Amino acid sequence: MVALDPTLIMNVLLIAISGTLVCIAVHFIPVGGAPAAMAQATGIGTGTVELAAGSGLVGLITASYMYANEPAASMALVLAAGAMGSMIMIASTMFAGSLIYAYGVGVPFASAQIKKDPFTGARQDLYMSKGTQGQGLPTVCFVSGIIGAALGGAGGGLIYFVLVQLYSQSALIGTSAAAVAGVFTMGVFYVNAVIPSYGVGGTIEGFHDPKFRRVLPKDAVTSFIVSLICGVVAVFIGGGLL
Amino acid sequence: MSDIKEISPNNLALFGIIGGLVGIYVSPLFPPYTPTLGALGAICAVIWSAEAVRRVAKYGLGTGVPSIGQIAMGMGIVAAMFGLAIVTAFPGATMAGPVVALITASVIGFIIGWFAQNVIKMKIPVMIRCMTEIAAAGSLVIIGFSVAVAGNFEFSNIIAMVFDNGVMLAVFWVGAMAMLHPFNACLGPDERQKRLLYLAGSTGAITMAIMGIAAIMTLGTSGVITLILGIILWLIFYKKFWDEVYKDSAAVVGTGLIPKTEA
Repeated sequence: MVALDPTLIMNVLLIAISGTLVCIAVHFIPVGGAPAAMAQATGIGTGTVELAAGSGLVGLITASYMYANEPAASMALVLAAGAMGSMIMIASTMFAGSLIYAYGVGVPFASAQIKKDPFTGARQDLYMSKGTQGQGLPTVCFVSGIIGAALGGAGGGLIYFVLVQLYSQSALIGTSAAAVAGVFTMGVFYVNAVIPSYGVGGTIEGFHDPKFRRVLPKDAVTSFIVSLICGVVAVFIGGGLL
Repeated sequence: MSDIKEISPNNLALFGIIGGLVGIYVSPLFPPYTPTLGALGAICAVIWSAEAVRRVAKYGLGTGVPSIGQIAMGMGIVAAMFGLAIVTAFPGATMAGPVVALITASVIGFIIGWFAQNVIKMKIPVMIRCMTEIAAAGSLVIIGFSVAVAGNFEFSNIIAMVFDNGVMLAVFWVGAMAMLHPFNACLGPDERQKRLLYLAGSTGAITMAIMGIAAIMTLGTSGVITLILGIILWLIFYKKFWDEVYKDSAAVVGTGLIPKTEA
């Protein structure tokens, strides 16, 4: 084993940071799970992992598209492309969901966790149906979801950017760097999407939810350490430390 | 129905590990007849993981059963790539790849399980053990099905035949479905191990049939064997599952009527 190269340590750290970004992103996305599917809780009516993965993988595709068309692109550009794809994906999901909640189910959008929407200033508690945890996607949840998607897409793009550069120099992988980096990114992404979803216990409204502050630190620590291990493993796959 | 004998988790773990590894190691020996054994080994691992998912998801994860199948494949794919790639750096150690992957997956699974239990505080007593088992099974499922498509477990060969053409995504997704679907479909108060294991066999077999289609593209003859064997196994396991469903639903009907006083 040769002496550790600073760029390799940098790569491992970048992967750890991007895994943590994905983890933090999940906390921002308003997920309601099964109760939200019945319009009895605020958020989008599906699981945390599905939403995080859905938006994150679109981010991965847009980031890799940017990289494939402009291999000399700076890291910021690839990250921005990832964030943009992810944000479009989650925004269209939330918009379509909102249309169904408003015109199909017929519920007023209200959050159970705050009294006034910080963006519109609208009272929330007046519109909450009895026995529910809020319903639909109030503005604050929508904004939170967009922020989360940006973080997740940037995180996914960052893992891909680091790995594809690392693997394209590897004698073992070489020309297949894009495929291997993409699949590895997907693996790290799923691990980091599931860890916070266990932390939040299935439902969270966004950054205004008290749960957000309670669970974010321990989820982030877990994700950072797990992603660090994944980063070391990723560098080993490229033959970097040998 | 409390006198039902269940297969112990240890026996199923042994079945999954030994069956999986034997299938993977035998598969490159006599092409085009043996690559299909990799898929059979993966079915053993699917059955093992379905039992592990069953034990941990019984406690209620709060995020649905699919999440655990997805994290299993996430951990499994990271470990499988590491195990198969790292041995190429040591000449003569290629044979150790699947075992290294299995051990790496167990370590990653153990760490995630430990954090889930002690940092995230999920309060599931079997979390650490089951997470370790699920990750290990995930890596065997990925390597097993990849071997069935690529013909052997040399990393460069797997890159060319499984990664480059995108078959890895099918391995990832259909493999995850095979692991998580049995408990997701059978859960509830009337859930029984035997029915679940037959369903796991059937999801594993249908994954094998899909891998057969992919293998026709990459290996030709061997793919046809995998496809036909996969369909036959699927029919057998599905019939067994069907029979178990009939047996168990009879037991539900026989519990008696709702008391009249309630009306």
